[in-house]
Amino acid sequence: MGLLQKLSLLIGSVRKKEVNVIVVGLNNSGKSTVINHFKNDDEKVSEIVPTVGFSVERFQSQNLAITAFDMSGHGRYRNLWEHYYKDCHGIIFVIDSSDRLRLVVVKEELDLMLQHPDICTRRLPLLFFANKMDCKDSLSSVKIAAALGLDKIMDKPWHISASNAVTGEGLQEGVEWLTQQIRELLMKN
Amino acid sequence: MSKSDLKISRWLDAHFDRSANLNTLPRNAILSNVAGDGENRLIIVDLKLERDTRCRLKVYKGTLVAADTVLPDVPSSIISFYHDRLNPRTPVVGVGCVNDLLMFKNNKPFFKYSLPGLPVLPAEYDTWKSIDKNAGIDVRAVVERLKGISFHSLSSRSQQLLNLPPSKQEEFILSYLNNEPMRINLITCMTTLKKSSQDTYSIACPIIGTEAGIIYVLDPQNFSILLQANVCNIKNTPYIITATGLYDVDYKILVATRENQVCLLKRGWVEGKGIIQTTGTIVEILVVPGDNLIVIATTDKMLHSYTKKGQKLWSIEMTFPITCLCVVALKHLNAYLIAVGLKGGLIQLYQGRRPVDYITVPDTPSCITFGQMGQEEHVMVIITFGGAIIFKILKRTADFNLSHQDTSMPLLNYNKSLPLPKRSKLFLEQSMREREDPAAMHRNFQQDLIRLRLLTAKEIAQNLNYQTGNTNERKQIKLSAQVMGLGPKFTVILSLENMNSDTPITEMSVVFHVKREIYHLSSYIFKIPMIPPTLSYKIKTSVHELTSNEIIEPTKVVLLDAKQRVLRVFVMKKDLNIPVLAATINMPSTELAF
Repeated sequence: MGLLQKLSLLIGSVRKKEVNVIVVGLNNSGKSTVINHFKNDDEKVSEIVPTVGFSVERFQSQNLAITAFDMSGHGRYRNLWEHYYKDCHGIIFVIDSSDRLRLVVVKEELDLMLQHPDICTRRLPLLFFANKMDCKDSLSSVKIAAALGLDKIMDKPWHISASNAVTGEGLQEGVEWLTQQIRELLMKN
Repeated sequence: MSKSDLKISRWLDAHFDRSANLNTLPRNAILSNVAGDGENRLIIVDLKLERDTRCRLKVYKGTLVAADTVLPDVPSSIISFYHDRLNPRTPVVGVGCVNDLLMFKNNKPFFKYSLPGLPVLPAEYDTWKSIDKNAGIDVRAVVERLKGISFHSLSSRSQQLLNLPPSKQEEFILSYLNNEPMRINLITCMTTLKKSSQDTYSIACPIIGTEAGIIYVLDPQNFSILLQANVCNIKNTPYIITATGLYDVDYKILVATRENQVCLLKRGWVEGKGIIQTTGTIVEILVVPGDNLIVIATTDKMLHSYTKKGQKLWSIEMTFPITCLCVVALKHLNAYLIAVGLKGGLIQLYQGRRPVDYITVPDTPSCITFGQMGQEEHVMVIITFGGAIIFKILKRTADFNLSHQDTSMPLLNYNKSLPLPKRSKLFLEQSMREREDPAAMHRNFQQDLIRLRLLTAKEIAQNLNYQTGNTNERKQIKLSAQVMGLGPKFTVILSLENMNSDTPITEMSVVFHVKREIYHLSSYIFKIPMIPPTLSYKIKTSVHELTSNEIIEPTKVVLLDAKQRVLRVFVMKKDLNIPVLAATINMPSTELAF
């Protein structure tokens, strides 16, 4: 690592960067619960209700100020997702790993997203949360990755982590990976 | 269908279980929020009709069986309704078994309602009542008396008695002696009717149709009979029943019977009225909510549509026999499609009578249901005759290219009568005359008609003659003439101009026609070379007038003047026997003084 790069990293860590992250996934997959975990203790909500439209939340991870667009996963709001693709630096895709029936719907939505012109040309980091890992009939993150065909995503860095958004298990690890990726991406530009 | 052959399916294959080993009939699978958590489960009546097997009530949560209950007897139908207003709102699942409505709540038996028995025939009643327990039983006399009554109208206990070997008959009679003879009221079909509100969570009344042709509407809270009505004035056995409306406001109950009739029962009626009679046996009947249409599938491959009053709208013949129907309600598109399951494994989706999509499954579907399942709103569950269960999810992006005008158009036209004008005085007089002498009027009319045809033919023939070939050459050539000289020798200069901007004129000739006694021409026929577009060609000919005094006397000359002093010019085309263009050139008279 050259001196300049070290210097820029130092500056980068001192000056907080603002990045946008879009949180998508089907309804009832736990997007708002995931975001709720990262909020400050005084901002946390005790009861999560289905999101209507979208909500904007801010939190910090490794000195990176993240603005998360928590999109509603309901069928009739899913067409809103694409309007936020343009300005985002990373994508968090939350999957209900106990909902075997809708795994095809998840794949369909993921494929639609990856084919979108604002996404397909960019090297955006994709973070998948195989949420609800505590449910007794939940699928493992490996099975979900296989079912969604994640191995076919060649042009984007992706990571899947099994999570439990209620207890916060697995969330920190995933978001750390995402911030690392976004940092690298910002440094290149 | 050619368009949809090429494009990707509108349905996602969510789950396919070939080994589910389910045996169902239409209307034996429902989607209901049985756990009260807002996530619909699939409830299936699994019919097992072989010996040593029991019918089961299976509840699927997503793709997995969440509950499996053994039923005491062969079920006929399944319903689900809210019976109370307690929170959390949990509906009961009702299964019609023999004469009982078995109700399950949270997948556990909850309540059983038995339909009242039917009275037996007086002769049978007397026979059973005449048996005195204390005195010896004359088994043979009892059997003989029962045999005198038609077997079909006997109660099941008498029927069973007649089928027993003589050695067991006495024991059988003794075991039943204390019970009042009754006929079992068999449940054949069931449906639900919302009581006072169309809300999803509002309570609903179960409606039961029985083998005897009686319809019962039950109170959902205390399970007493709210209404008892006959299906029809003649004996009709209901086997499919559907209801629309609200019990407290207004409702319509449609009953399909085994006698190929559809009967309507309205609020306030105690007896239904037959409104539709079909030729084939009815497979399935649906009421499409949007258009309020009745759709009936019959065994003769036909899909019929009727208005709610029973007027026939349309019929479509399918390529394969229909096995099941299902309403596909797409609220976000404001459309109601009908899924038609066909033998062989094809499921066609119709909007009105227009096919909009199709799905293929590996086997003949026996039952289709569509609705919310789990968290997904548009799930189609297909159960096949082979026992497989298939879940298909409608894609969010599917719009079916629906046009709402198409379906409503034929309906509107059908209902409205044609706009006929009022009968005018003229019309009345005309019709009066027609009645007086129809033969002569017809003759006159025919005469005029033939004349008209002749006139038309003539006009056409004339037009064809004017227009030679495929283009009208007359319009392409401009002919002008110039006469020079004082006489008796003249020079005529003809100028032919090609008016056409892109095609040249070829193979033309010019012919002069004159009275040989008056004029002499240097040449009578000219071959015209090709005239390129927009150019002109000039021909020069000298004319000599034979005006010698020795031939014609001056007085005659004067007479000749007007009509004889002409030069006719014809422009001819090769191989055509009529001129393309004709012109007359009036020649000036020779100045006699010279």
